[in-house]
Amino acid sequence: MSDEIDNKQSIQAQSSETMNQYSGSAAADIDYVRPAEIPEQDLYHGHSFITKWVFCQDAKVIGVQYFLTAVFTGVVGLILSWLMRLQLGFPGLAGFMTAEHYYQFVTMHGMIMVVYFLTALFLGGFGNYLIPLMVGARDMVFPYVNMISFWMFFIAVAVLMASFFVPGGPTGSGWTLYPPQAILEGTPGSGMGILLMLVSLSLFVIGFTMGGLNYLITILQARTRGMTLMRMPLTVWGIFTATVLAMLAFPALLVSSIMMTLDKVLGTSFFMPTILKAGEVLEYGGGSPILFQHLFWFFGHPEVYIVALPAFGIVSDLISVHARKNIFGYRMMVWAIVGIGALSFFVWAHHMYVSGMNPWFGFFFATTTLIIAVPTAMKVYNWIITLWRGNIRINTVMLWCLGFIVTFVNGGITGIFLGNVSVDVPLSDTYFVVAHFHMVMGIAPLMVIMGAVYHWFPLVAGRMLHEGLGKWHFWITFLGAYSIYFPMHYLGFIGVPRRYFEMYDSPYMTSAIGMNEFISLAAFIVGAAQFILIFNIIKTLKTGKPAGKNPWKANSLEWHTSTVPPEHGNFGDRLPVVHRWPYDFSVPGAKEDFIPQTTPPSEVVHTEVEKT
Amino acid sequence: MEEIKKKEEQTTTHKIGIYLWIWGLLFVLSFFSYMVDWYEFQGLLRWSLILFFMFLKAGLIMAFFMHLFWERYALVNVLLWPMTAIACFIGLMAAEGKYTVFTRFFYFFVGGQ
Amino acid sequence: MSEQKIADYEFKPGFTGMAKDTGSDQTMFKGVHWGKAMMWIFLLSDTFVFSCFLISYMKGRASTTVEWPYPSEVFALTVFGVSVPLLLIAIMTFVLITSSGTMALAVKYGYEKNRKMCGWLVLATAIGGLTFVGMQAFEWSKLIHEGVRPWENPFGAAQFGSYFFMITGFHGTHVSIGVIFLFIYAYKVFAGHYDTQKRGWFTTMKGDYVEIEILGLYWHFVDLVWVFIFAFFYLW
Repeated sequence: MSDEIDNKQSIQAQSSETMNQYSGSAAADIDYVRPAEIPEQDLYHGHSFITKWVFCQDAKVIGVQYFLTAVFTGVVGLILSWLMRLQLGFPGLAGFMTAEHYYQFVTMHGMIMVVYFLTALFLGGFGNYLIPLMVGARDMVFPYVNMISFWMFFIAVAVLMASFFVPGGPTGSGWTLYPPQAILEGTPGSGMGILLMLVSLSLFVIGFTMGGLNYLITILQARTRGMTLMRMPLTVWGIFTATVLAMLAFPALLVSSIMMTLDKVLGTSFFMPTILKAGEVLEYGGGSPILFQHLFWFFGHPEVYIVALPAFGIVSDLISVHARKNIFGYRMMVWAIVGIGALSFFVWAHHMYVSGMNPWFGFFFATTTLIIAVPTAMKVYNWIITLWRGNIRINTVMLWCLGFIVTFVNGGITGIFLGNVSVDVPLSDTYFVVAHFHMVMGIAPLMVIMGAVYHWFPLVAGRMLHEGLGKWHFWITFLGAYSIYFPMHYLGFIGVPRRYFEMYDSPYMTSAIGMNEFISLAAFIVGAAQFILIFNIIKTLKTGKPAGKNPWKANSLEWHTSTVPPEHGNFGDRLPVVHRWPYDFSVPGAKEDFIPQTTPPSEVVHTEVEKT
Repeated sequence: MEEIKKKEEQTTTHKIGIYLWIWGLLFVLSFFSYMVDWYEFQGLLRWSLILFFMFLKAGLIMAFFMHLFWERYALVNVLLWPMTAIACFIGLMAAEGKYTVFTRFFYFFVGGQ
Repeated sequence: MSEQKIADYEFKPGFTGMAKDTGSDQTMFKGVHWGKAMMWIFLLSDTFVFSCFLISYMKGRASTTVEWPYPSEVFALTVFGVSVPLLLIAIMTFVLITSSGTMALAVKYGYEKNRKMCGWLVLATAIGGLTFVGMQAFEWSKLIHEGVRPWENPFGAAQFGSYFFMITGFHGTHVSIGVIFLFIYAYKVFAGHYDTQKRGWFTTMKGDYVEIEILGLYWHFVDLVWVFIFAFFYLW
């Protein structure tokens, strides 16, 4: 069935290389890396089109599959946001738009962007593609399970999209799906819509669990020789910690989905209190709606970091490579990622300050929330210090990174406002909140995704994306995003509530009308600008400049594969042996301004390398 | 326990005796926890006994049947630390449950508009 | 397991060992098979699922204003005219612990590559699991017969039935999946797939007795969850 890759133990070959060069035992000693603990991975090579490209077990192809599916859902989410902005900026212009439609679009936009776009893109897309390459593994540890994981995700997306076409349309209960209204008549899509949403989420969780197990075990148990945890690129650290969060947070989503499905289908009352509707008492009674909110946010808050942590990791690598400088405070960065991840399980109810929960919780959650600002701020300082006196290349990738830092700081500062109970209460459910979370977990991670696409596209496709188009793409997106979200803060301060279909004739909101029109126009432009990237990709695939090997002169293992783009098995005959961290840029005394991770110490004897 | 551990480390697998011991202990503990109900203990005594036997049984299963006792600390710690998040969730939800029932009775008697 | 050797790697005990293992290259869990590590992490995730279920149950039960039914009476079984509280549940616990013991021994014999013993013990475990599922079906039908439904019950708070059917149902699903795999693995052991390293049907991975240990972990976890359900749902 499957071919075995020749089991060549690379130890003899590797040490003989160094022996030849230096022919001394001292050189061999400092280059020594202990032999492989685990036997060569037994890989299944597909032979037909179906096993190679459809039900493929190669993590790289699965990563691209995840990426494309996520981008498809992302485009759907983008179109939904256009429709929402059309209604908000120019009420009544789109004739078909009713309040019901608006709520459905809000809901689907939120759910698609957070779960099916960002999570799938970072963990499924970048995770699958980069983890095995960066830690020096042939593939994920269980390629078959990995393949099933993608197809579960695909089915979940299909079910989600199907909900647009069922009677009543998709659910319109807001992306948080709060009961009791989510499953009661009167809410759009309270029939099949919500049911398909819950089924889709459950499928997503099951599929993601399979993928997540793979990512974790690959990182923990399948690293190459010499690759310690503290020599991994921060990208891997970010994805790793985010996956841990996902493995521990998605259960809460699964449980709340199952319970709400039972409430809907069987008529149980887990989340349903006694409800008086048009003078009649419904059959529900005795349940606890706030329990759903707790379960949902026990998932929901770690979910924010599931999106943010991979972005933190990736941006650290991009900044380091394109500023030709080692990342400042690598260990601090790692511990900050881990610390943010751990803390994220103790802050969830800061989304619920106005929900009527136990009032004492405000103290607890405000404190933990503000503590989380400490490691986050440390990361921001470290990015800036990394840039300081670096050999910065202002290319598209770097522009996206700089855009990320600014946007993230902006969103982070409004987060401090919202983390305090007394400040949050008046700002709750206003556009201030919308501006905050779009800045911090919408635009900021998106900037990193864009940067990462421009950075790793040469690896995936072997061709460089067009720089000029990339810069246009960046500047329109960056300036446009600020035109959208800066005014929203102000809208929040004057008290414009979020999730309202229209502002009607509220006299004190006249200043909001012009601003809403402006925001909408900016949103149309920014949305359209994203198609520059798609055009750029298509153009590059046809006529792009060949990238060659390692176009960015990066150190990490993914650029040092036997072929570009890497084939199945990643590293050819022999797995690489790692001698250093991936951040040896501009090392004093070195011949070139980068020292790849695979370079043994004996080749860089007269340089001041970091000891890692 | 230390002696058992030393002995075990010399052989490829663990002696059958240890499994039979744990097996027997689990039956005895299950019997005891059943007795808690049989004698209809109430209040704090009941709850603490239930929890005591529960954790003892869970600990035995994890430590010996699932071999966690013989695993290296790296694995053990990875598995046990996340439980702090659950502990926090339990504690807060216990408080929340009390508060919910308080508000329900409060508004039922006082009336709330 | 603990006596393993790794070339040029010195095992240290306790927290020093943990620090050394974590800081080393290649693997963090020294000598732990990929599948076993994966099962452990999956079980951790599954622990969170069951924890969320039980926490919801706690919150639901704590905040209901209607009297919660007294489980000791609800789950009583009348034998020869005498009402014995929780009798069926006690027997179910007994069966599940028995099957857990046989599984533990199956793992032991699997490591000793004792094909016959291992196979019989896995089969015994499967039959124990099947008995458990059967008894749970009996318990469900008895309660349904008495008028307990997910949305209402004659004994008190409506949530009692909801949580009961949901949690035991979810646990029962885990047991059923386990039973299916136990039967498959019993066949695979008897057919000698692990001795000859025959490749799996779907995954094309080589068979190894470590799979018995991985299945064992799952099965003990199911037992572990039952310990908590028994304590919180039936005794509390």
